[in-house]
Formats: sequence, structure tokens, C-alpha cells
Amino acid sequence: MNTRRLPVYLLLDTSGSMNGEPIQSVNVGLKSMLSSLRQSPYALESVHIAVTTFNSLVEDVMPLTALEMVNLPEIVCPKSGATNLGAALEHVCERVRKEVKKSTADTKGDWRPLLFIMTDGKPSDTLAFTEVIPVVKACNFATIVACAAGPKSDPTSLHKLTDNVVHLDTMDSATFSGFFEWVTATVNSGSMSMGATTSLTLPPPPPEVNIVL
Amino acid sequence: MATATKPKTIKLTASDGSAIEFIDEIKASGGMKDVYFSPSKKYVVAFFRGKPPIGLKDRLLVITDSYRTRIFENVGGDYWKNVYCWPTSVVEHDGRIGVVVPFYDQPFFFMHGSRNNDMLGIKGHEKQGKWFASANNRAKFIDPRELGDWSKHLRLCIQISRAVRRMHSAGLAHSDLSYKNVLVDPSTGRACLIDIDGLVVPGKYPPEVVGTPDFIAPECVMTTHLNKDDPNRKLPCIATDQHALAILVYMYLLYRHPLRGDKVHDLNDPQKDEEISMGAKALFVEHPLDKANSIKAANLKPSELPWKDTAKIPFTVTGPYLSALFRRAFIDGLHNPSARPTANDWETALVKTVDLIQPCSNTACEQEWFVFDNTTQPACPFCGTPFHGKLPVLNLYSSQRAGNFRPDNHRLMVYSNQSLFLWHAKLSVVPNEKITEEQKKRVGYFVFHGNKWYLVNENLPDLIDMTDNDNRVSIPLSDKVELKDGQKLLLSKEAGGRLVIVQMVDA
Repeated sequence: MNTRRLPVYLLLDTSGSMNGEPIQSVNVGLKSMLSSLRQSPYALESVHIAVTTFNSLVEDVMPLTALEMVNLPEIVCPKSGATNLGAALEHVCERVRKEVKKSTADTKGDWRPLLFIMTDGKPSDTLAFTEVIPVVKACNFATIVACAAGPKSDPTSLHKLTDNVVHLDTMDSATFSGFFEWVTATVNSGSMSMGATTSLTLPPPPPEVNIVL
Repeated sequence: MATATKPKTIKLTASDGSAIEFIDEIKASGGMKDVYFSPSKKYVVAFFRGKPPIGLKDRLLVITDSYRTRIFENVGGDYWKNVYCWPTSVVEHDGRIGVVVPFYDQPFFFMHGSRNNDMLGIKGHEKQGKWFASANNRAKFIDPRELGDWSKHLRLCIQISRAVRRMHSAGLAHSDLSYKNVLVDPSTGRACLIDIDGLVVPGKYPPEVVGTPDFIAPECVMTTHLNKDDPNRKLPCIATDQHALAILVYMYLLYRHPLRGDKVHDLNDPQKDEEISMGAKALFVEHPLDKANSIKAANLKPSELPWKDTAKIPFTVTGPYLSALFRRAFIDGLHNPSARPTANDWETALVKTVDLIQPCSNTACEQEWFVFDNTTQPACPFCGTPFHGKLPVLNLYSSQRAGNFRPDNHRLMVYSNQSLFLWHAKLSVVPNEKITEEQKKRVGYFVFHGNKWYLVNENLPDLIDMTDNDNRVSIPLSDKVELKDGQKLLLSKEAGGRLVIVQMVDA
């Protein structure tokens, strides 16, 4: 019997403005997210993680990898670069279509994937962004959580993707770690409660994060 | 952004008038509650998040008060302190309702944690049952010193069944039995029920629990889409606990799920497929006639073997008493709640199964113990090592009226240094929470010496070899009797006293 995988896609902004403390904080946050996910017997059985970064270019930092095998590379970001969120989403949707296993008559496929997006700016490729929205919806993610980090981020455009938009006022390590703790809790409860209810209930966010309504 | 200040200690008076303190810092979060520690670390305070639902406080008060006293201040009361983490009082703070719960016992925290010098960093964490109920987690992650042997798993299942049996006999249903809410320590064979605040109490507003996937009864899965007040909606109750208990026992003894097979019901939507395969079309993976949901060995990962290969390790390795209950739970009672075995059935069968186990002669066998399979060529089903030598099997009979003995469907497998207890000698003594210290002492033991098996009489004043009716031989205390095929030994003359008929297997 195949144990269903729970694919988790992380889409991270590495545009120029993330350079410095923000990207450091993201790296720290990712590492602690991985180690705390590895302490869950549920997550270890199902969670697979993929990391994609985007600036002017979209890059797969890590293919869809079983949690226990993940060896996360340091995420770096250039001094400058645009926020091509539209192209990045298009790319992730392509990956989902290719990587997420469908059920066949005699093997169980994957759970519906989760998508986490973190960006500190507005999409630079506005047309591509607008066009990709229906494509994202068609990907049938179980949950999409978008994080608008810092004062220049744009929660409004993210709202077109999902109702779950969180806004981080600042971009320091404490704030990011709070966010990644929340991502961890969401993935964890996802790996534990898949099959319980039809939609995934998000755990309460940490106090530093504002949910944009 | 919050600045790092030392959290305050908050003082409260609980529902029972006791003074309660907790440090205002969330230490753990569950599905519905946030947990805070007391400065003494003797108890925790768990607050329900958000506005309390209707009836919550009322229900918690009866759980912490009348039901708690009824169970703990009765025969065997002390026993229950080990198998329940029962909330002791109710507190209110900032519009939230919370329960005061004793801190878990030390054995329920990992002492060694994971393999490779605790690579996962779980040392000191709670021993959630899921770590131990999965073949993959056991093989890949958990330090072998934490895993215990098969006899310890039998023992912890006894404790779970006993704890559930006691609740049910008080009319209470746990409502969310799962490996999340049962802490286990396989290294010592202990188990403890936690999250007891979700109990369904007769006559009180039911708790808002959905249950935990893997453990929700099919009738509940099938009706989750209905409103809670809909008369057709099936809510957690004693019968759904019985389903969850059967799954727990199956998973702790066989390290796989009884309903998770390879049958796919919906090609496009995994969620829907899950609902059907745990609900309307739930089917035992080892159903003897309907193989539709059997586990395909070809799809398995090496770390899941041999446990998920049901041909290699069928449920019948658990012996005749438990096999009969698994059939009732997963074949007859899966979609027919009234046919499910009760917690008492499980407890009795598990206790009797302890008498069927044999140590594996392979010193490297991870399970160390196995249930004798009633054949003339016994072998450990887990590692395949055959048993060689003379194996005495004691068949127990008890007297219904003077001189008439009827079979009890109870066997005792003998191994060297195996103990004989009063509950083997007398039907009236049952090894459960009611047993006295005096009754816990062994009354005899078995030893293999000079190629012969002996029973040494330590405290059976009535022990008589009745094989030859014309020549009954009394075996005095501290004397021994050699075991022989066809021998009849009377263990006690009392009503309900046991007669043993020895069978000698030569393998």
C-alpha cells in the first residue's frame, strides 16, 4: 500500500529588497520549520517539500523531497531583481501538474498539495500575475497561504489568490520565525488531519502576524 | 513586535476551591486547547481557545467532580492514576475555560528519542502513539531502546482496554480515542489516556469533537456532512469508542492500519476517496472473502516490511482470542456498531493472550515474544525462527459444580521461569485493577531441568496430581512435579478451582 504523500510547495521571494536581514531570517525560519516538522510522526510519514524562489528569474531550489531526506541549500538573493510572482506561480502550477501523483485504479495518489507564498513586494509582472490566477485555482490546492512581508508588500493582489493572507509588519527574524512556526503548524495539522474534514482548518496565527481580512 | 519579557505567573482559584498557578506562556497547542505549565510542573492548565461552546463548563464540572470521584475513590482507585491523566478541576480566566490536568509521568517522555544520537531531536518529547504504531517510523526513526518487545505491546493494550472499559462501565464515552490521545511507553509496557475533557457524559451537551482520522467510526465518517442536530448524524459514543479501540489494538500489535488498503474509490479527489474508504465502503484489509482492499505487497517500502505484508504477518499471529475479536470488529461489526467487541472483551482476550506467548529463541529477534500457533511445528512469526524442544501446554478447566470440570478455552504456554498465578488456579480471581497485593504474588513457577519440565509449588496448598484416579499424589509446598503428556493437575479445591490437563508438544 502506498502511503499518500502530502506535497508542500514553498514559493519564496528573493527580489533585491529581500537582500540582507530578511533573507537571513527566511533561511533561519526554514531551518527551524524543517527540524520541528521532523519531530512529528505524522509529517514524517507524508510531507514532501519543494522550494522555488523568484526574482527576475524563477529557480527551483529544491525538488519535491521527502521530509526525512530534505537537505535544504542556503537561499541567496541578488542585490537587485524584480518580483516576478506571476511567472513564479505559473512555474509552480506546471510542477504541480507534473509532480503531484493522481490516483490510479490500484494505487493511491497524493493528497491535495499545500502552497505557501512569501513576498515583500508587489508583482512586477502584473499581466502574467492576472492571467495565472485561474490556473492556480485549477490546481486544486488544499490550502494556499500567502504572506505579505514588510511595509512595501501588497496584500490586495495576494487576496486574489487566496483568503488566507497574512501581513508581517516588519521583516526581522522574530517576525519571520513566528510566520514559519505558523506554516509548520499548518503543515503539521494538515498531515494529521487529512481525511478529517473537507477543508483544512488553519491553526491560529502567532501574535506577530496580522491576518488581512 | 512583542519584546521578550519574562511571562507572568497567574494565580486562580479552581472549581474545587484549590489554588492554581500557571505561567502565562503557551507551552503546547492542541486541536482545541492551549497548554500552560504550573511553576511546580506538577500539573498543567489547558485553556479552550475562544468563546466556550454551550454546555462546556457544565460538562467539565461533572467530569472533574462526580465522575472523577466515582472512579478514583472506588475499588482499585489508585490503579487508575496510572492509566488516566484525568482533569482535576475547572478554571476560568479572561473569558476562557480551562482544565487542570496532572503532568504526564516521566516514562511517557522519550528517554533516548530517535536513532543516530537522536537525529530528530525528540528526546524529552511526549511519546505519542503514532511513533510506535507505524512500521516505517519504528524501522527508520525510533531508537531501538524505545521500542520495547511484543509482550510489552500486549501489556500496554491491556491498559488501554482496561481504561476504556472502566469509562464505559460508568456510562462515559471518550469520543476521541486515537494514538494522539493515548500516550504509550513500549519500553515498560505502559499506556495512559489523555485529553479526557472530551468525554461524552450522559445527559450533558455533547462535546464538539470530530475525532482523529484513522479512528473515526464509518457511521460517523458517513454522516459528517449532516448538521449536528440532524437525527441521522452519528456522533461519538461508546460504540464508536469500540471501533477506535479495536483499531488501536490492531495497530499496536501489527504496526499497520486495518482499513488502509489499496482499493481506490475516487480517482480524482483524494479527500473523497478517503471519506469513502473510511466510511461507506470501509473494508478490512484482511477480509477473508472480499480481497478488494487488500494491501499489495509490491507497493510497499522496505521499511514497512514485513509488517504491512499481511500474507507474512496475518492478524491471526495474535492468537485465537484476539483473532476472534478482530473478526468481530472489522468484519461483522465494522458497519454494524452493535456487533463490535466491548472494551471488556478486549481486556479479557488480551489478558488470556499473555498466557499464550513464548520467548523467541533467536536472541536477535526484535519482538522477542510470539503467540504459540497451536501447531506441532511452532515458529516465531516475526523472525521465522522455529521452536525446538519439548513444549508443555497447560489446558485450563474449571469446576462448575463439585467434581465436574469444563474447558475454559484458556491455555497456558510454559517456558522456563514462567510463573503460575492465583488467577490460573482459581476462576474467581481476575487479574485486573481489583486484585490485591497478596493475589499478585506467584504461586508456582516452571523450570526446565535435566531435559524435564517441572512445576515448582510455592503456594498452592491443594495441588494434587490426579492423573491416576486411584493413586492421587499431593504435591506439598516447595516440592515439584514433573510435567507429562496427559497429566491432570488440580490447582485448587475451591468452587471455580482449576484443573490442568497437560499436553506435551515435541518440536
